[in-house]
Amino acid sequence: MTSTSLFVPSGSRLLRSGFLLPVLLVAIVAILVVAPLARIVLSTLTPEGMAAWKAVLASPLSANLWWRPLFNTMILGFSVASGCLIIGGFLAWLVVLTDVPGRRLIGMMAMLPYMIPSFAAALAWGTLFRNSRLGGSAGFFETSGLAIPDWLAWGLIPTAIVLIAHYYSLAYTIIAAALSSVGADLVEAGQMAGAKRPRIFFGIILPVVTPALIAATSLTFAGAVANFAAPALLGLPVRMQTLSTRLFGMIETGQNERGFVIALLLIAVSALFLFLSDRLVSGRKAFITVTGKGGRTKRFPLGAWRWPLFAVAAAIGLLTTIVPVLVLAASSLAPQSGALFSNWTLHFWIGEGGGEMAQGQAGIFRNPVLLDAIWSTIRLGLVVAFTTMLLGLALAYTIVQRRGSLLATLLSQLAFLPLLVPSIAFAAAYIALFGAPIGPFPSLYGTFVLLVIAASAHNLPFAVQSGRSVLGQISADIEESARLTGAGLIRRLFAIIFPLAIRGLFAGAILVFVKMVRDLSLVVLLFTATSPVLSMVAYRYAAEGFMQFANAITLVILVVCLAASFLAHSLQNRVQKWKES
Amino acid sequence: MNAIATGAANAIQIRNLVKRFGTFTAVKDVDLSVPAGSFLVLVGPSGCGKSTLLRMLAGLESPSEGEIAFVGQTVSSGAGGVIADAGRRNAGLVFQSYALWPHMTVAGNIAWPLKVAKWPREKRAKRVAEVLALLGIDVLAERYPAEISGGQQQRVAIARTIAPEPSILLFDEPLSNLDAKLRIEMRSELMRIHRATGATSVYVTHDQVEAMTMATHVAVLNNGRVEQFGRPIDLLRNPETSFVATFLGTPPANLLPVRRVGENLVFGETVLAPSSLAAGRDAVQLLYRAEDVGVGVVPGVPTLVARFAEAAPIAGRTMVTATIDDLRVTGMADGYFSAIPGEPVALSFIRTPDAVFATTGERIHQ
Repeated sequence: MTSTSLFVPSGSRLLRSGFLLPVLLVAIVAILVVAPLARIVLSTLTPEGMAAWKAVLASPLSANLWWRPLFNTMILGFSVASGCLIIGGFLAWLVVLTDVPGRRLIGMMAMLPYMIPSFAAALAWGTLFRNSRLGGSAGFFETSGLAIPDWLAWGLIPTAIVLIAHYYSLAYTIIAAALSSVGADLVEAGQMAGAKRPRIFFGIILPVVTPALIAATSLTFAGAVANFAAPALLGLPVRMQTLSTRLFGMIETGQNERGFVIALLLIAVSALFLFLSDRLVSGRKAFITVTGKGGRTKRFPLGAWRWPLFAVAAAIGLLTTIVPVLVLAASSLAPQSGALFSNWTLHFWIGEGGGEMAQGQAGIFRNPVLLDAIWSTIRLGLVVAFTTMLLGLALAYTIVQRRGSLLATLLSQLAFLPLLVPSIAFAAAYIALFGAPIGPFPSLYGTFVLLVIAASAHNLPFAVQSGRSVLGQISADIEESARLTGAGLIRRLFAIIFPLAIRGLFAGAILVFVKMVRDLSLVVLLFTATSPVLSMVAYRYAAEGFMQFANAITLVILVVCLAASFLAHSLQNRVQKWKES
Repeated sequence: MNAIATGAANAIQIRNLVKRFGTFTAVKDVDLSVPAGSFLVLVGPSGCGKSTLLRMLAGLESPSEGEIAFVGQTVSSGAGGVIADAGRRNAGLVFQSYALWPHMTVAGNIAWPLKVAKWPREKRAKRVAEVLALLGIDVLAERYPAEISGGQQQRVAIARTIAPEPSILLFDEPLSNLDAKLRIEMRSELMRIHRATGATSVYVTHDQVEAMTMATHVAVLNNGRVEQFGRPIDLLRNPETSFVATFLGTPPANLLPVRRVGENLVFGETVLAPSSLAAGRDAVQLLYRAEDVGVGVVPGVPTLVARFAEAAPIAGRTMVTATIDDLRVTGMADGYFSAIPGEPVALSFIRTPDAVFATTGERIHQ
């Protein structure tokens, strides 16, 4: 039954949906994922490409093009990964395994930073810590008479801090999920053996969650390595280059081949670490907890430490969620970017142009480019969310149905390939493929369509994963009992699978939407000035020194993201009434 | 070891034990004691408080009132909470979920508690090999829990618990995740281990067959209370409450509600027994065991007509269940018996009722 993929189908069988769907999916995945990556490799094998390889790796330029950015990237990767592990792990431990007060609140605050784009934190940092070394207006602290040294205003350290503030919530999510899978029984069995708390922690809990710790490390590492916004905003002004900003600079100045070479190297660096961590995890035995009575977890009393630890956790939460948002809001109202809390005006939001302020530019809600950008951003988010989840569900269904077959293995391997590719490098690959007309098709560069295709491809791993988890919630029995009534595939899909899966699909779609709305590193290469998205506009304003505008737009992005999450939350219960409790 | 030396003190003594979760009282005023070496089974329907009681014995929960003493030493009390914590009670617990540590091999799982108890290496290795052999799982030593079957995991969980030679063994529905055949096998296995270790055991189950076959002492729990405590055979012969009477025994005994009419106790229109049995009450319940109910008309004894429901052959006879309105009555037919569901069958009450209960459940002694 599962080996149909090895069978050469006859004409009539080819038309059956059982065959058409997988074949179609293989084609789609090949075009979305394999073609761009193959193309970018091929483009660097041309004579120009070979010259670019030489320039990047073995020429007087290579220190600037490759070694120094690589060094910066690695430092960022390691410091961010370890920072995230410490903060995310600490919060996860506190929320899942202790009786700290306000556990739900801390848990919620620890999830939020991931919803906030990393450039929001970077902009907020700049607003507070910017010093006058580079000219332009100084930040809040320096204006208030506090001298800010260069290392705290620009470069590696602020970039790392901002990235940790963003990615620790990813680490938190992964570690918290793993910790809550450590059943109370496992801990109690240790207690029965007479082990004390430290012994139980180091002997049982830590080893069981080690795979999650490794996963969290490698994912935050990959995230930091691939991030574009933070190093671009906080590093570029002092010429601190990472691989992603170098890549952007090359493509932007038309040195495409060199850009492609750097993109490939960036992919190699990121993939190498993800691969190594994967080996590390799978080298150990898979620690699936063996049976269990459900989600009961053991909470340890903290005693006198309850409130001090709560204060630490709450401070982390506030500094990474509320404070940046407040800073951005205050800055978008303050005419002097250093004096955050005086002379507030709505000029940057709704002011008419032509005055003294902001070199005569109008407020963002009077700016037609920006209004356009809002709509194209939302449109992009919606379209990509839809295409991604549809594709993800179809792929997951095929992979699950044909588990063990060659086809399923191929599909799942290909669908997870984009995980290894940093988004800015992925964008470079799409430029390599679609930057020029292919046969009868026109060049897609700079179009909405290209962005949708690239984004769908980039979100494929997430989509397949959430599709699988959605389908995993529907037991095979349910589907089979529907099949026994004689209902066909389509009928089953709409009558059984869809209603049961809608909640999970919806949650997945919202996440994709939010990811798209706050994304900068994928769109930064693929969009042209004529049809921008919000994050691009904010980045451009920030690059030109109009901090208030950039901050205001970032707030708009935040509001859209939060509204989407809130909407998802409140809609979820209505969609599946039988789950109301 | 203490348990045997100081034979005077009971191995486990529970006094006036109460456990409340918020406003809900899970365990209500429980009093139990068993001598060293006994096999105490706590049996009852789900939600009766038996697992909570066991967790208090293990030291994983603290009692709200009352106290628990092991060999004369108070280990938990309402006033002092958990006095000797879980690890210091010389007790071992086998979890329903087995709770094997997934990152340790089978041998590692068994050795870890010994490591915690600071056993020297050679003694540890020797003991691990010993319990592996005792449970017949030597070949699994280097496997991980996820790589072995449910029945094997069960054996590992038991091996891990008995390895430190606890004087008290606690079992939380250990066989409920196994299939029927394996369950029977493990039942005798557990009894063998009980004899081999001599440890006082407390075993929680909802399966009355396990209680009847394994226990030296049974406590039947219902709604947080001990309905009756004693030897299994005593509970079966002399149930103190109607709950115990119907909960224990295979096939289940029948409880017929009757009214007093003049000198007789009457079920529907049929006279079943003299009213003297009711001790002056107007309505009581009569207990008839299945073997005291015959199928077919027997001259000279009360007979009821019921509708046939199902039949199951048991040891050369047939257990026949029929319904009278909503009441299920089970009797025994000789040889093999079958009928069409809904068909009328006559049930004859060939002996006098085994016991009489008030409508509130308590036994009316004659």
